[in-house]
Amino acid sequence: MLLIGALPEPITSAPLVIFIYLLLILMVAGALASVLLRSTLYAIGAFSATMALVGLLYLTIAPFLLFALQLLVFTTISAALLIALLRETAGLRASSVGPFSREWIIGAAVSAVLLAVVAVVVGATSWPVHVCCALPESFGGTLRDTYTVGLAVVIVGLAASALGSGLLLAAPILPSSRGGGSPTDRRRDRPRGAPR
Amino acid sequence: MSAGLNLVLVGSAALFAIGAFATVARRSAVVALLGTQFMLVAGGIAFVAFARFGLGAANATAGASMALFAGAIAVAELTVGLAMAVLIYRESRSFGVDADGG
Repeated sequence: MLLIGALPEPITSAPLVIFIYLLLILMVAGALASVLLRSTLYAIGAFSATMALVGLLYLTIAPFLLFALQLLVFTTISAALLIALLRETAGLRASSVGPFSREWIIGAAVSAVLLAVVAVVVGATSWPVHVCCALPESFGGTLRDTYTVGLAVVIVGLAASALGSGLLLAAPILPSSRGGGSPTDRRRDRPRGAPR
Repeated sequence: MSAGLNLVLVGSAALFAIGAFATVARRSAVVALLGTQFMLVAGGIAFVAFARFGLGAANATAGASMALFAGAIAVAELTVGLAMAVLIYRESRSFGVDADGG
């Protein structure tokens, strides 16, 4: 019995190779931007873009389900958690200076989610053309049969994370134990005309 | 020109290096959390690359499954880490994790 067989051939289709190069370059650039940017809101935007690019990389070399989960679940929950963190602490308004206002970022996020839904529909229904290049039939079966416990843990973990991020977004902003509160609260509570 | 295991592993290694830099060198708790996310995602990309191009191609779905688990763990870790970041912010009015509040 052979232990090592022939390795799969690398991708040689020129447009796909260029696409993968572009994805990797943008992915590294996005990661660098999210690490180096001083504005937390911009860093979160760059992080979400990097996660979306990782999802696109999965689309080219991994099963379609992984791409859909990366784009729709992991990226969405991570971005929601980070936005909730900003809302709970420094506030979203404090980072809205610069060329990209908060409305632009929200609009881009909504557009990205809609495009992701369209991509999922197109990939799942093979409409209008068969765009997905790596779609093994047994990925769902492998998850269901081989990794049942892991899949259950993942589902519970994701549900808990989604619930936590939803509650964090919906919860009122609580004051600090040292008498702080959000910057918005501090501005609102300050008497009119009082020095900053 | 082709895209194979080496190319994707180089991208994965670069992402891991950026994540490690963010975790070790940056003072902000949020950026450090983003760094751990990048490191976990880089591990998932390496799993997928080996499953697609390497010796794991005999059971390609296993590599994708590992990447899926890594992504879920990253999200769960982010949830806990962000709760800690909120507590840090309420105590010191910044996300700095150094003693001077960087």
